[in-house]
Amino acid sequence: MLRDRLTWVWAALSAITTLSWWLARTAHDNGHFVASTPVTIGILAIGFVKARLILQAFMEVRTSPKWLRLFCDMWLLVFWGAVLGIYLYQ
Amino acid sequence: MTLSTDASALSTAMPPENASVEDAQRPKDYLPGDFNMWVFVLGDMIIFAIYFIIFMVERTRDRTLFLASQQHLYQTIGLINTLVLLTSSWCMARAVRATRSGNSVQALRLVIGAAFCGIAFIAIKVVEWSLEIHHGYTLPRNDFFTFYFMLTGVHLFHVVMGLVILGVVVRELRNPDLRRVSMVEAGATYWHMVDLLWIVLFALIYVMR
Repeated sequence: MLRDRLTWVWAALSAITTLSWWLARTAHDNGHFVASTPVTIGILAIGFVKARLILQAFMEVRTSPKWLRLFCDMWLLVFWGAVLGIYLYQ
Repeated sequence: MTLSTDASALSTAMPPENASVEDAQRPKDYLPGDFNMWVFVLGDMIIFAIYFIIFMVERTRDRTLFLASQQHLYQTIGLINTLVLLTSSWCMARAVRATRSGNSVQALRLVIGAAFCGIAFIAIKVVEWSLEIHHGYTLPRNDFFTFYFMLTGVHLFHVVMGLVILGVVVRELRNPDLRRVSMVEAGATYWHMVDLLWIVLFALIYVMR
């Protein structure tokens, strides 16, 4: 099982999920949540990586026809780019 | 566009328990499942993306309220539910591989494992909602909680639909006459999408600051 790529992907996804939960816990002031651009950028970057891993490894987009690979990468870029852009917009 | 397959054809091309060889031997440009399922899944991804963008725009309008409301979410429950869904997806991805290698007994166990995780997700979500409502954080409380209940509710509906699909997959795997790799793949495609959408939801609603 340790040689299994799917298992490694699952372990990586679980680890970076826990990392994003921990990152969020660092953004507080006396127990009250505070806005933090570095924490949010880290969390969004982790979200992007997780979404791409699920698409590529679990949904097998990595070995799928070109139109599907392009669609998924475009979706990832446009969506996460829009989220980051809206977050940074003051 | 549809590439239908059967277990016997794929079992000769794809040895079990060897992921790297499996990838190398899978036909190039292979579309798992069927084209119609992908159209549905990609459409759902676009619709959810629009929901999430609307959430972000509303969040920008009142960052203080959204941040203060986030404080009342059960972050650790959100984390546990994310890990439960990831484990569920892992089971389903391995079920697809087991089906291709002709190991329908293992495939059946893995699909049932994936479904069990899905049921656990729903149970945990119901507990979380109950705790929120018990403390007065209901849907009309403010804009944040309206989004929270609407988005997690629509997602939960997808989990329930996914469980119905997994039920059909289990039924097919149990019957040698109905058993098709393409059906298990299509079920997996949908189930992974449910996981994918939750990943986004967890990032935007629970942990972003």
